[in-house]
Amino acid sequence: MSTIASSLSRAAHLGKLCGVGLMVVQTAFGQSPQPAASALPLSDLSAFRKTDKNWRIAGDVSADLNQNNVLNTGKGTGILVNLPDKKANANLMTNVEHGDADLELDYMMAKGSNSGIYLQGRYEVQLFDSWGVKNPRTVDNGSIYERWDESRPEGQKGYEGHPARMNASRAPGLWQHLKISFQAPRFNAAGQKTSNARMLLVELNGVPIHENVELTGPTRGALFNDEKPTGPLMIQGDHGPVAFRNVVIKNFDKPRPQLNNLQYAYYTGKYNRQPDLNSLPPEAKGPTDALTVGLSRSQNEFVLRFTGDLNLAESGEYQFQMATPGGFGTMLVDGKPVLNWREWGQEGKATLAGGRHPVEIIYSKITDWARPGLGLLIAGPGVRPTELHQLGSMPLGSPTNPILMSRVGEPTVHRSFLTIQGRKLPHAVSVGDPSGIHYSMDLENGSIAQVWKGDFMDVTPMWEDRGNGMALPMGSVMVMAAGPTVAPLADANAAWPPMLTTPEENDTKKYRFRGYDLDAAGRPTFRYEVNGVAIEDQIRPDGEGKFLTRELRVAGAPAGMYVRLAAGTDIAPVSEGLFVVDGKYYVRTAAKPTIRNAASGKELVMPVGGTVQYEIMW
Amino acid sequence: MTLFHKKWAVSLLTAGLLAGLTQPGQAQSPSAKTALPATEDDYYKMVTLPVPEGVVLEVGGLAVLPNNKLAVSTRRGDVYLIDNPYMDNYRTPYFRKFASGLHEILGLAYKDGSLYMAQRGELTKLTDRDGDGRADRYETVYAWPISAHYHEYSFGPILMPDGSMFVTGNVAFGDQEWWRGESRVPWRGWTMRITPDGKMEPWATGMRSPCGIGLVDGQFFYADNQGDWMGSGFIMPVNKGDFTGHPAGLRWTNRPESPVKLTDRELYAKVDPRFSPPDGPLVKPENIESERGKALFEVAKEIPAVKTPAVWLPHSVLGISTSEIVTNNTGGTFGPFFEGQLFVGDQGQSKIDRVFLEKVNGTWQGAAFPFREGFMSGVLRMAWGRDGSMFVGQTNRGWGSTGKAPFGLQRLVWSGRTPFEMKTIRAMPDGFEVEFTQPVDKKTAEDPASYELTGFIYKYHPVYGSPIIDDKNCAVKGIAVSPDGMKVRLVVDGLREKYVHEVKIDGVRNQSGQPLLHNAGYYTLNVIPEGRKLAASEFKAVTVNPHAGHTGMKMNETVSPDGPAGATAKAGTTPAAKGKPATGAKPAALAKRTTVQPASWTNGPDQVITIGTQPGLKFDQTKVTVKAGSKIKWTFANNDDMPHNCVIVQPGTALEVGDQAIKMGLKGMNQGYIPNSAKILYHTKLNGPGAADTIYLVAPDKPGQYTYVCTVPGHASLMQGTLEVVP
Repeated sequence: MSTIASSLSRAAHLGKLCGVGLMVVQTAFGQSPQPAASALPLSDLSAFRKTDKNWRIAGDVSADLNQNNVLNTGKGTGILVNLPDKKANANLMTNVEHGDADLELDYMMAKGSNSGIYLQGRYEVQLFDSWGVKNPRTVDNGSIYERWDESRPEGQKGYEGHPARMNASRAPGLWQHLKISFQAPRFNAAGQKTSNARMLLVELNGVPIHENVELTGPTRGALFNDEKPTGPLMIQGDHGPVAFRNVVIKNFDKPRPQLNNLQYAYYTGKYNRQPDLNSLPPEAKGPTDALTVGLSRSQNEFVLRFTGDLNLAESGEYQFQMATPGGFGTMLVDGKPVLNWREWGQEGKATLAGGRHPVEIIYSKITDWARPGLGLLIAGPGVRPTELHQLGSMPLGSPTNPILMSRVGEPTVHRSFLTIQGRKLPHAVSVGDPSGIHYSMDLENGSIAQVWKGDFMDVTPMWEDRGNGMALPMGSVMVMAAGPTVAPLADANAAWPPMLTTPEENDTKKYRFRGYDLDAAGRPTFRYEVNGVAIEDQIRPDGEGKFLTRELRVAGAPAGMYVRLAAGTDIAPVSEGLFVVDGKYYVRTAAKPTIRNAASGKELVMPVGGTVQYEIMW
Repeated sequence: MTLFHKKWAVSLLTAGLLAGLTQPGQAQSPSAKTALPATEDDYYKMVTLPVPEGVVLEVGGLAVLPNNKLAVSTRRGDVYLIDNPYMDNYRTPYFRKFASGLHEILGLAYKDGSLYMAQRGELTKLTDRDGDGRADRYETVYAWPISAHYHEYSFGPILMPDGSMFVTGNVAFGDQEWWRGESRVPWRGWTMRITPDGKMEPWATGMRSPCGIGLVDGQFFYADNQGDWMGSGFIMPVNKGDFTGHPAGLRWTNRPESPVKLTDRELYAKVDPRFSPPDGPLVKPENIESERGKALFEVAKEIPAVKTPAVWLPHSVLGISTSEIVTNNTGGTFGPFFEGQLFVGDQGQSKIDRVFLEKVNGTWQGAAFPFREGFMSGVLRMAWGRDGSMFVGQTNRGWGSTGKAPFGLQRLVWSGRTPFEMKTIRAMPDGFEVEFTQPVDKKTAEDPASYELTGFIYKYHPVYGSPIIDDKNCAVKGIAVSPDGMKVRLVVDGLREKYVHEVKIDGVRNQSGQPLLHNAGYYTLNVIPEGRKLAASEFKAVTVNPHAGHTGMKMNETVSPDGPAGATAKAGTTPAAKGKPATGAKPAALAKRTTVQPASWTNGPDQVITIGTQPGLKFDQTKVTVKAGSKIKWTFANNDDMPHNCVIVQPGTALEVGDQAIKMGLKGMNQGYIPNSAKILYHTKLNGPGAADTIYLVAPDKPGQYTYVCTVPGHASLMQGTLEVVP
């Protein structure tokens, strides 16, 4: 029906299977199959080639927001730290070499610092303190650094750098997350390059910043001038302090699985249960060079059966995903079902030896209003998710033109529904700022639900067709803890209430949202009441895209009311008035809140009265 | 000096439309024999306001402000103030953005310098305190619970005489039973009364899609839309504690603050809600043709809290999605003949109906008539201008409409001329009295053949919509034309209380020989008034009923039966021979709807085609190519949430056939909106939401660009595809 159709097509608009162009229209696939990953051990430096003293292992690390190039370390293991100085400032190379690979890691920059990750020791993704930068350049965090040709005229020596799509960076001293899907250059038997290296997808702090970028050659400062099928990972060590943890490399260096010697048979009939095809005469049959639904003669009530060989280069565990819109499907490998008789789509896995495996794939189409399609995806050791079906065998959804509020020229207030980590916020507002720093409030309890930097909002889900009322933040989102900011507590140790009143209760004496006033610039000050106490809540960007200042003006000095500045798994003091929450953001305040234990970890709490002001910096 | 060529020419065109403003009451055109037939445009001119590019004016609310400005709120969350919406001095209206960032505003009211509007989750008051022309205080008068389902629209407010504000809220739909309206949080599916200081009291429930709300003589009225439990759209007065039909909101009647005491259990004891079995498959309720079921008024007899409509708006005839109620208190400037009557908007068919209301024994009832069609998009809101013209705010995003523009703002201006219309229909102790806007010609008025009355009602059931049931011709027994010719009293047999009565007057002419501009009115006869019946001497007796035996269920001759393969079709199609062996020659011609594969197709169809739908009145494929003369298995699967059919017609005839389907009137739905037309080659049945129909057909011999179209009234202009027949 129309609403299901529109929400499924929206799913297609929003999400693709990572790294693969399998547009999911009729079904919703889960996570793409994950081959085994190998984490770099960081208990010592044994994973790396011998290097200089600037590289070390630590258990803890933090930055100084006021001083350039300062990272403070604590004893322990698990964190790789670079502290270069004039004497020691070498680069770091892994012992392992990689070709096609996915790299995922956390890193932390010192203030003003500069480093880089070189895939194959040749192609650099820049690591930089770009806190507050509005329009990233090629030198900024996450950008693909430029190539260099000394022989070119002055001012044009650098070329083919790719700036990050937007600034998804965090402040110094906070952990940032980088994911790179890389494809190595290809060479023929004579050793000539037949295709360029590529950054298939680079995501910084959850935001795609590069897609399908071709690299014509090594970038500036690479370890090598040539290009090869493999190379070590290199981290730049001579520019500034940087720390790493959770470094994981997934290699995709094995030949892709193939389907060969395919035969097909086509039957008519409507089979909800798996038929015995051996006793059914096919309407058509023969060899085929591709697994495709195009061999069917009609739109519905048919069965397509394929038999052939699945050729695997490696032994290991293989994951499969099958799409059979409007019908049932099954797949047998070596005569045993790996994907059972199920409708619409499914996942499965099997441990298989390298070599040839007889395979049988069956699709029974029964639902008349669904478009037929047949898709099969395989992933396994050293193999990216690979489509085994022919292009066109899966229906491609009709694209929707996005409706975007990307850059706002003036402060913009936007009411919508929101969904945050699966939770629906029916009364919510988002405020966008020209400086590129934005936030959303949960108006059912007067709390900041999420903050982000970059572009403002994708409003396609609410303004396209009937819509579902939802708007999506664009840019790198940081979700804040759910629950009210101001709440009554029986005493200073009482548990923080998850909400002030339930939607069904809607008790205005416990909490009541009163609206907001706009100042001359169009920025809102929110007004609400907690237990009848009037509160004015003003959140202002710093103007440089670095932090938000929140000022809560509470009428009177009501007893038994507290304000919770932050909540997380861990809250640690950094310096006077500066706290770091889960390594993800800072809270800075002149007030004197206490860190107290909570069911979920830690909370930053203080009694309310008068005006409370604090900054959220990230 | 700002009048230059182009602007002047455009404005002149607009002025030309207004040039029809003659003295009110001017005599009709002299020679009716050679005069062109009258159209709605002769009497009410439609002016389209230019909207600046980039302004997405999906109108959700309209409010005329004291200073000649028009305030418009939109589904995109903006509020615009429009200067000079009347385009005085031929100048273009000026748009100024007053506010933005609200969540789908669907109403607007002006009070004491502030604008009030319902957005998804709250009633908001906007005020410009610093006088810069933009709102700076966004005040939440009251925030109600909402579950964030897409269908949970909130409408209003209506300002009541006592200063309070009424807001209504749509239901959500089930995740599993997607066809069933439900109330996920309090007070969805309710009318809420909210005081200016922000206190809310739940007022009444039974609402499903209460987009249209309005004030009539101080009484709060609301309009609902066809859907599950709602056989057709209607308008209804709503008082505290009322239940208006849809059970979703009954979920909350056990709360102490609920003035409605009826529980859903009590209601379901009277009408089976037909929930899917808890462990079993999901089964969407469909109309059971063989069962008469119950009408809403029959349930209301057993349960006092259940209320019935004042005026039903017969589905597909008077509209498909009721949207707005306004009362004409313009003091005659919108046509004195319609002073005091209601106008009701329809989104899906881009038109406005007119309703005459009266009270009989304290019960609201009356007649609904077509009034004006042809609006550019879906009519959502109407508001009276300072000069008695009517602003019509429009949007069709998400549902499509006969008018294809995605949004618009138009103004309806009375031309000053008087149309020949039924001005009112009043219930009488022995029939009806029809008052006309002009004196009738006595001969045609006294001819019983001029009149045809049919009584019918709708089922009350959990199914989406309802066919008409119990339809019966009501015999006219006597006719009395008033001496001045302005009124005709009909003595009618077979009237039934609570039933809708179609009063079709095809034959009456005015004294210039013109027929009625709109020849039918629909009177909801809740109560037959007491009083004196006409004596036999007072009316001209009618002895023969020219429409005896006619009912809405009359089958069209050329509608094909679903029969076994090769069934003999009715007149007009070639029968296919039974059991004839396949010779490889041209396949035998088929009936217009054959649902079983012909036995002669031993190799099956040459081609199998499946057509689905997309939201916004679209087929999911707009082009299909077939070989001439080939055997086709054609499935139309309706995966939309409103009924559709699929009709294959001769090239270039889709709109014509669509028009014929509209003209089927009341019979339409029962016959699947398939008119008796030689232009129709094949057709499916009318598929309810989620249903599919498979037919077997032989592609035409003659190559060309044929069309397949949905002929549900209001759909044909948008919902088409090309059937390309190649040699």
